[in-house]
Amino acid sequence: MNAALPASLLSRRSLFRTAGLAGAALMIPLSACGASPAAQTGTTTLRFMQNKPEVVDYFNQVIRDFEALNPDIRVVQDFNEGNFVPGLVRNDPPDVVTRGFAQATADFVKKGIFADLSDMPVAKTIDPKMQELVNSWGRYNGTETSALPFSLAAAGVIYNRDIFEAQGVSVPTTWDGFVAACEKFKAAGIAPIYGTYKDPWTLAQGMFDYASGGALDVGEFFTKLYAKGARITSDAPESFANSFGPALPRMLQLASFSQNGAASKNYADGNAAFAKGQAAMYLQGPWALSQLVAANKNIRLGSFPLPVTNNPEDTKARVNVDMALSITRNTPNMAAAQRFVNYLLEPSVVNTYNEKNAAFSPLKDAPAVSNPQISGLNAAVQEARYFQGAVTYFPPSVPVNNYIQSFVYSKNGEQFLAALDDEWRRVAERTAV
Amino acid sequence: MTTTSRVAQTAPPAEPNSPASAAGTVRSRSRIDPTYYWMVVPVLALFAFFITLPALVGVFFSLTNYAGYGDWKFIGLMNYVNIFKDPAVLQSYIFTFVFALTTTVVVNIVALAIALGLNAKIKWRTGIRTVFFIPMVLSALIVSFVFNYLFSNTLPVLAERFGVTPLATSILANENLAWLAIVLVTVWQAAPGATIIYLAGLQSVPSEVYEAADLDGAGSFRQFLSLTLPLIMGYLVINVILGFKGFLGTYEIIVGLTGGGPGMATQSVAMRIFSGFTGGDYSYQMANAVIYFLITLLISVIQLRLIQRRGVSL
Repeated sequence: MNAALPASLLSRRSLFRTAGLAGAALMIPLSACGASPAAQTGTTTLRFMQNKPEVVDYFNQVIRDFEALNPDIRVVQDFNEGNFVPGLVRNDPPDVVTRGFAQATADFVKKGIFADLSDMPVAKTIDPKMQELVNSWGRYNGTETSALPFSLAAAGVIYNRDIFEAQGVSVPTTWDGFVAACEKFKAAGIAPIYGTYKDPWTLAQGMFDYASGGALDVGEFFTKLYAKGARITSDAPESFANSFGPALPRMLQLASFSQNGAASKNYADGNAAFAKGQAAMYLQGPWALSQLVAANKNIRLGSFPLPVTNNPEDTKARVNVDMALSITRNTPNMAAAQRFVNYLLEPSVVNTYNEKNAAFSPLKDAPAVSNPQISGLNAAVQEARYFQGAVTYFPPSVPVNNYIQSFVYSKNGEQFLAALDDEWRRVAERTAV
Repeated sequence: MTTTSRVAQTAPPAEPNSPASAAGTVRSRSRIDPTYYWMVVPVLALFAFFITLPALVGVFFSLTNYAGYGDWKFIGLMNYVNIFKDPAVLQSYIFTFVFALTTTVVVNIVALAIALGLNAKIKWRTGIRTVFFIPMVLSALIVSFVFNYLFSNTLPVLAERFGVTPLATSILANENLAWLAIVLVTVWQAAPGATIIYLAGLQSVPSEVYEAADLDGAGSFRQFLSLTLPLIMGYLVINVILGFKGFLGTYEIIVGLTGGGPGMATQSVAMRIFSGFTGGDYSYQMANAVIYFLITLLISVIQLRLIQRRGVSL
């Protein structure tokens, strides 16, 4: 046994070595086909990381078209967003990146990860109000433009057109009109709103964001709150208790219009039930549309921004910059990366993408959206009557979704807002040190 | 490190294949078969590298303001001070301990009852035993997803049909009752393991003592109280201790059933700690983990002392 051991070890080792060599031999042609054309013809290889795995095919086509026009550039698409931070750590990030723009991406901007794009001519074609959605999170050095919006998702109330027509209800433009519509559905035995309380995020992005965003300037509130840092007291004007109070009764009213047993339904249940016509309205964004159509291809859907006041001019939609284009600061291929970004922001590319994906184009002169599922949000987006959801401003260490769920069950608004204030202050204190 | 040097010291100096030791006629107390070290040392090295070292790294970062990425600096014991001021963390501790205590009691009552039944001479005993042990081989996460469906959909429909209004909405959506659902599923999952230990204990009790008790006229309840229970006390202690420690780390059943909700009602300490990895709260939750480790260590020491007093060895 003792004599056999080294021999078997040796043979195992040599086996590993053979396997390793074989693996390396397999890798060489792969990496060679990545590198050798560049060496031979002087082409530049760009790495393009985008954050939506479901649109890989579209970008493959875009890249093919771009490469045909620019034979000196090759673009490799990477749709695994999880590779971004490891790439930063290795100091080898992708050249061009798209990211959903919220708290996490804003942190990268503050750390100066992205190059300044404000001098690019294409930056002038972006609707300045949409650019402001990105800039409002904070700009590197105070003036730089670290990301250009590529796709804007607008969320409101998804409604079943057949049920609305059958009950003779038109799209409400005021809060009173909305409540009257709900009462009418209720009287007819139809659940006005389908609630999926079991998934707390649906309450957060739905009734909480809609009711708060319609009632106060969420972006300004959080800018002031962040500026205060750890020195926030519960009686300060910048507290949740002093700002979010008016939104809460509307949330509870929305909750009262949900079907019975909403507490035991999750997002998947909600999509299936709403697609079957079990409710007239659904507080969800465009991401639910494809699911609803997949469950029932004959369903006729529309969207409208939830009015929370009785002045139709105040009605706003909840938006988020679903994709924002950035170039990493240290890329060795800046010129090529800029050419690619220019191409991506050509109307034929960016407008087509947004049309196909139930989203809004960021270009100043983009045509009005014709998709009937989201065209009801057109006016609000064009007139910049929109806000980014309050929950997107929270640091991830505050379990705000759970607090919202708790409030919807307990209906204790004072406790809810006090808890948010306390939790915010604790997180600010411990992250400020 | 000390272990490896001891390997060198106690390793047999020469001739491991000498006929004397092979025949086993000469038994030397100082000579220990190196095979035992081959069994222990690799595991020890793996344990040190994959468990002890990361734990020490965690302790180190609990003294910083590291968010999981980016820059960090030392902040001393600030994280620990802040944890004691955080009611959300306190609530998770209260929940976890109440849950672990309740579950331990219920698991042991249920398991002992099942074991008594399965130890009796009943029909199809082997088949029934198999049925009772099935929950043990199922993954806790799968079990909890199945129960999640039952609680959210099946049970409310049944309750509505039979007019039991309190159950007509899912108990998982009730902040005051959700934890009972978690206890129920945990008991369902953990009882078979405890039952096996009790069965082993019951089979170790000689039948003569029952015959003697029968002759003395003791009823079956008296027999259980005065004979069975004292004779299997060691097994009960083991079950209580192992069970309690396991339930303190409860995680996956809660994830599958409530995800810590509704609201914050069923957030266990393990879940709070794990949230630090995704929440940019890494160092703070590491401090929480260190505190929790010290608490469980203290409980373990107390329990070991109890065991030794009872003369049971794990």
